[in-house]
Formats: sequence, structure tokens, C-alpha cells
Amino acid sequence: MLSIDKYAYENRIVDWSPKLKALLWLAGIVLAFQPLLWLKAVVLVVVAIITIYVTKVSVKRYISWFYAIIPFVLLSIIGIVVTISSQKSTLIWPIKLGSVYLGMAKVMMPRAGRMALQCMAAIVCTYWFALTTPFTQILQVLKAAHFPRMMIEVTMLMYRFIFIFVDAFEQIHRAQKLRFGYDSFSLMIHSSGILAKMLFEQVIINYEMMTKALDAKLYDGEFYI
Amino acid sequence: MIELKHLSFSYDDKHQILDDISLKIGADSHKVIGIMGHNGAGKSTLFLNLVGELKPTGGEILVDGQPVEYSKKGLRALRRKIGIVFQNSDQQIFYSIVKDDVAFALHNLKVPADEIQAKVERVLKELDILPLKDRPIQYLSGGQKKRVAIAGIMVIGSEWILLDEPTSGLDPDGRLRMKMLIQKLVANGQHIILSSHDMDFMYEVCDYLYLLGDGKILAQGGKREVFNDEQLLKENKLEQPWLVKIHQKLGLPLYDSEQELFANEGRKHN
Repeated sequence: MLSIDKYAYENRIVDWSPKLKALLWLAGIVLAFQPLLWLKAVVLVVVAIITIYVTKVSVKRYISWFYAIIPFVLLSIIGIVVTISSQKSTLIWPIKLGSVYLGMAKVMMPRAGRMALQCMAAIVCTYWFALTTPFTQILQVLKAAHFPRMMIEVTMLMYRFIFIFVDAFEQIHRAQKLRFGYDSFSLMIHSSGILAKMLFEQVIINYEMMTKALDAKLYDGEFYI
Repeated sequence: MIELKHLSFSYDDKHQILDDISLKIGADSHKVIGIMGHNGAGKSTLFLNLVGELKPTGGEILVDGQPVEYSKKGLRALRRKIGIVFQNSDQQIFYSIVKDDVAFALHNLKVPADEIQAKVERVLKELDILPLKDRPIQYLSGGQKKRVAIAGIMVIGSEWILLDEPTSGLDPDGRLRMKMLIQKLVANGQHIILSSHDMDFMYEVCDYLYLLGDGKILAQGGKREVFNDEQLLKENKLEQPWLVKIHQKLGLPLYDSEQELFANEGRKHN
């Protein structure tokens, strides 16, 4: 189960107007992308503290949710700072590769720091929104903001089926683990392949059954939101 | 009334899943009709034929005297008359909030919005799940999801409701609720066809039963007749309900329900 979703239904400000929460989120994003560095840092810290307070989540758990995102942030930073240059002096930790040097560009360091801070501040704000706003409220906001119907429909169906998919994944994974399917690296590769294949098969079977269920409910091409 | 005339169905022309079945369901004011049979006997295939999801490869189906039309319009009309609830609830709930999902079929029928809300509330109340109205589906228990799935079909108000294995995966409380729900549907004037491996449940709920095996109807009748033949049930990998067993093996009278048994037998012992 996605525990992150549970907090959205059980936090201190769940009854606040979803539009207000969406506006606050937007304000947070604007603050994250404005030019003042110190303000970005303040937003990062303050919003993180507020999030932990209103959702009653433990600090450890809150930080653990960033593990999924930090690799991506790191990758983009690496992409910005790592470069090849013919002048050794412009680089930090240069490594000689033939006639050029591979290293981190000194001029890019402040820019990378700024981007990392900006990124994290925006993520913290988005987490605040995701953790305090139940999905139905998000749908209300999307509707009020006149997003295209099709997009809202797809969002709604994705949200519903993510849980079924995660459940199916967990069940297969657990069954494999209990029969030692992940005891070594080669087994892990093998089992992951089977897992992917089984998930695909289940998606097809579920699709067929769902088509029948839609017929029974007189579906005529439109979901009503 | 649903009438099957020499109904046959096969996926591959070699093996007949349903083989020349003729019967009249609901002919003699039967309200709850049970279809029994071992795994693979063709119960689900029969259900899918009844709602037009599968087209018979031979014979025909008549609903209220009219042959089923397999046009888009004809099938829609058929499904307003015959609703079906499948075994796996997750495969038939599409919305993330209970009340939205229950309202889905009504939206498809273009029912006005205020009427939809009233109907949804009434069905949820009947199923005893009104407090779940605004809850997200993914945090419901299996039994609760099953009732949401049934509510989604109940709102259509169809004359017939097919229930495929309605008690599978339910705890004793869920099973009892299912029994009461079926009685409630009958009181609403709806007719039920259900399939199950739970012989005790079938015995207590159904008033007419069919035994399906190898694509044929092997036996039919009221519950007192159909469950009488221990040998036939065994050959079909089924068993007698315990109330029938104690009647045959211990010589007790044949009771219709557990309550009746304890009420009567208890009196003797006191």
C-alpha cells in the first residue's frame, strides 16, 4: 500500500478548502523559483516543518520519502557540473583523459547549488500539497481550474488502478521472496523478469474482465466526474 | 422469464462448454435460482451468455419471450434487464470513491443528478454501507468492496441480478450479510441467479437449483430434491449441505435453515 496516500486523508488540515491549498502550493512554487537564495532555503525548512506538524508523520519517515527523488536531483546536478576541459585550473578534482581533463567545472558550482536548492524547495512544497490534499479534493481543483475532461478522467482512473497494480506487484513479489527468488543477484534478475511478465499478463486479464464489467454498467464511452 | 432453447457454446468448436441446454428460469415464480457445478463445469460461461457477453454458438436465449438481439441497442436493453456482479470486486470498481462508483451506471442511463444522489443513498443504506459513501475504495475490506460492487449493479434496478460466487472470500459475517442482502433484493421484486460452491449457502438461500456438469443440466428441482442424491453430487465434486446430511444420516427431520433446526431440536431437549 502507498502509505503516502493515507496521510492525505488523515491530516490536521484535510478539511481546508482544496482551492486554498492549491493556491498555497502555487505560492510555494513561486517562492522556490524566485531569485533570492535565502528565501528558497527558508521555504524549504519552514514548509518541511509545517508538513511534519500537520501530517503527524515521523521525521524519519518524512525523510525516507526523499530517497526516491534524490537520485534524480543528483543526476541532474552531475549533468550540470561534470564537464571536459583542456585547462586543468578550471576544474575541481580533474582526471586526465588523454589530452583533456574530466572534472567538475568551478564556474558551474554556484549554479548547481542554486538549482539543487530550488528543486528541493519545490519538492517539499509539492509533498506538502500531496500529503494534505486527498485525491477527491485534487480532482475538484482540476475541475474548478477547467482542465480538459479527458485529462481528469485519465488522472482519476490512474489513481484508482495504481493501487491495484501496486497490490498485484506486492503479492507476486512476496510469493517469490518466500520461495527464495531474490537470494542472489542472478536470481533477482531472473525473478524480476518473471514478475514483469506476470504483471503484464494480469493487466491483460484484468482488462478483459473490466471490459465486461463496464458493459454490465452500461458504459458508453464516458466517465462522469 | 429467461428461456434457453438448445443453448450451446464453445470457444473452439471441439469442446462444448455448454451443450444443448434447454430450460426456463423463473418460470414458476422462483425468486432465487442456484447454479451448481464443479470448477470448469460452465457456470461462468453460462452467466456470460445470459448477459450477452458471449454469443451462443447454437440455440438461442429468450428474455420475456423475446430473443436476445446482439446489436448495441439490443445488448443495452438486455443489460438493463439482467445485471451481473463478478467474483473479483476490484475488476468492476472504476472510481476511487464509493458513491462515485455506485452512481456510474445511473450517469450512463442519463438519470438526472438529484435523482442519482437519492438512488445511490438508498442503495448504500440498503446494503448497510452508507457510512462508507465518501471513503476511498482502496482502504475498504474485501467484504465491503463486494458490497460496493453489488451496489453498482443494484442501482440499475434490473429485474434479474446474476451473482457469480457471491460468498467467495467472505468471512462468516459477510456470508450472513450476503444472505440477508439476497432476501432484501427478492423483497424488492428482483430475481437472483447465483453460482457458488458453498452448498450450505445455496441450500439456505435458493428456492430452485440446477446442477451443471460437462455442459449439461444433470439435475434440477427444489432444494429438497436436488440435494437428495448424494452419489450424483459426489460425482460432480460437490457435497450435500450439512442440514441434508444430518437428515439422511441421523434421521433428523429435514430443516430449511440452521435457526429452524435449533429452534425445534432445542425444544425437544429442554
